[in-house]
Amino acid sequence: MTDRVAIVGVAQTRFSPKRADVNVGELAYEAIEQVLQQTGLEIGRDIDNSISCSHDIWDGQTISDIGITDVIGGHLRNEEKMAMDGSTAAYYATIGILSGEFDCTLLLAHTKMSQTDRNIVNNTAFDPIYTRMLGFDFTTAAALQARRYMSVYGITEEQVARVVLKNLSNARLNPVMHNGRDLSLDEILAAPLIADPLRALDLAPDSDGAVALIMASEERAKQITDHPAWILGIGSCYDAHYLGDRDLADCMALEKAAAMAYRMAGINDPRRQVDLVELGDEFSYQELLWLEGLGLCKRGEAGCITAEGLTARSGELPVNPSGGLLGGVPANVAGLNRVAEAANQVMGRAGEVQIKDVEIAVAQGHSGFCGQHQCVIVLGREPRSLSASAGRSR
Amino acid sequence: MEIEFVNIPMVVDVPYRFAAGSYMARFLIELRDNGKFFGIQCPSCGRVQMPPRIVCAACHIKNGEWIELSPTGTLMGFSIVHLPLTDPTTGLPHKTPYTYGIVRLDGAYSTIEHFIDVEPDIQKVRVGMRVRAILRPREERTGDLNDILHFAPIGEA
Ligand SMILES: [Zn+2]
Repeated sequence: MTDRVAIVGVAQTRFSPKRADVNVGELAYEAIEQVLQQTGLEIGRDIDNSISCSHDIWDGQTISDIGITDVIGGHLRNEEKMAMDGSTAAYYATIGILSGEFDCTLLLAHTKMSQTDRNIVNNTAFDPIYTRMLGFDFTTAAALQARRYMSVYGITEEQVARVVLKNLSNARLNPVMHNGRDLSLDEILAAPLIADPLRALDLAPDSDGAVALIMASEERAKQITDHPAWILGIGSCYDAHYLGDRDLADCMALEKAAAMAYRMAGINDPRRQVDLVELGDEFSYQELLWLEGLGLCKRGEAGCITAEGLTARSGELPVNPSGGLLGGVPANVAGLNRVAEAANQVMGRAGEVQIKDVEIAVAQGHSGFCGQHQCVIVLGREPRSLSASAGRSR
Repeated sequence: MEIEFVNIPMVVDVPYRFAAGSYMARFLIELRDNGKFFGIQCPSCGRVQMPPRIVCAACHIKNGEWIELSPTGTLMGFSIVHLPLTDPTTGLPHKTPYTYGIVRLDGAYSTIEHFIDVEPDIQKVRVGMRVRAILRPREERTGDLNDILHFAPIGEA
């Protein structure tokens, strides 16, 4: 039985504010067709499991995978859906392959944010009897988290604006992103207020798109490519649903998910050992908060290291060299895009956004408002036995 | 003691605008503008699928040729419905009883579900009966499945 798992193929559609020309099946197939061509694999012959990630209310269909089983190879076969951020699909695929049940898994995440209203969809994430009736959505919840985090740790608006500056500039180099641009700090700080302290440029924009990945056991991976991205560690953790049960300046679920993933990966000094991070900057301040939760700097330090350029493409620890979610990535697709961008870096296939010599990369995804659920995937160039490392930790 | 039940009413619905996609758009436009049914054929197994879609699920390959189908076909199954289901495009209930049926158009592999214009009498409708699509007049068609009024029996009713 295999105890090593790798990503062997990565494909993404171009993300765009609106794809009126395709339905979700056609959108999904753009990415699936690409990843099959890239790996030379065929669904009928080579793929023994399919996992998709989408969201019923975003898709407007109950059990939102049932309409795309034909394009993903789920017809008269197995197909599983993750109703969470796409990074969790990679977590789940890893477990399926480690179990020995599957050898080669096709992953897909798709969302068309253009077909409905983000605030109304996200309002349905709140408890129907409690705060839903106040009209809350992810943006207003995030604004509360931003204010709380910034006031507890003395993070300045200028430090947060530097995340926008960096990521939108990075996104210019990435052909899949649609929100890349070069702005001045003054322009970012003068953008229209949405929910103080969040301004228009602090939010990942509405986007349509899909991402497809293929993951395989060691034996299959070595047949498919000479340069896979090996899974070194995975971690997943939930925090409380009620915001009032959490201190929003904290990110305990992320700390726990990261600790699980690092333990599996044999990482004890993430700042030194990790070469690159692709994380879920759904809102700009989250890049700073998640950097701290991932243990890549001390609590409250993320603003300073960002201002010092440490997380720039040319810095010691590039963060979101892809342009991040601020670059224009759909909800739900977000985490699988993070994993895809990190895998491309490790595989040396990141093209224009490639950073030199990436041995170990961390991808982070989250779902629910204020990052209630957190998932961390550690990827590397050299394979690592996962069952042995997981066993040692128990 | 009397227990008070508390519940919170909400009236906002999630709005959607679904893109038909390139395959369904062509199907709906042909139906609206030319009153024609089109299926799409798998280059491997030869099935003609309706509605047309990007891949043949059985063969895992892109579908190929567009095939014009006859507006006539065979009733493969039916139900005389006594439940006043809501028409989601109007919010109004269907007038009962009415008949839903599945029809295989001549030349198609797939069947289509729609209304069957028969007297709601189990003696008057049977599996295997021949039917024809009755479309709305050209000027009333809007490019959706309601451009088909119903399927009507051929020569029997
Ligand atoms: Zn076929």
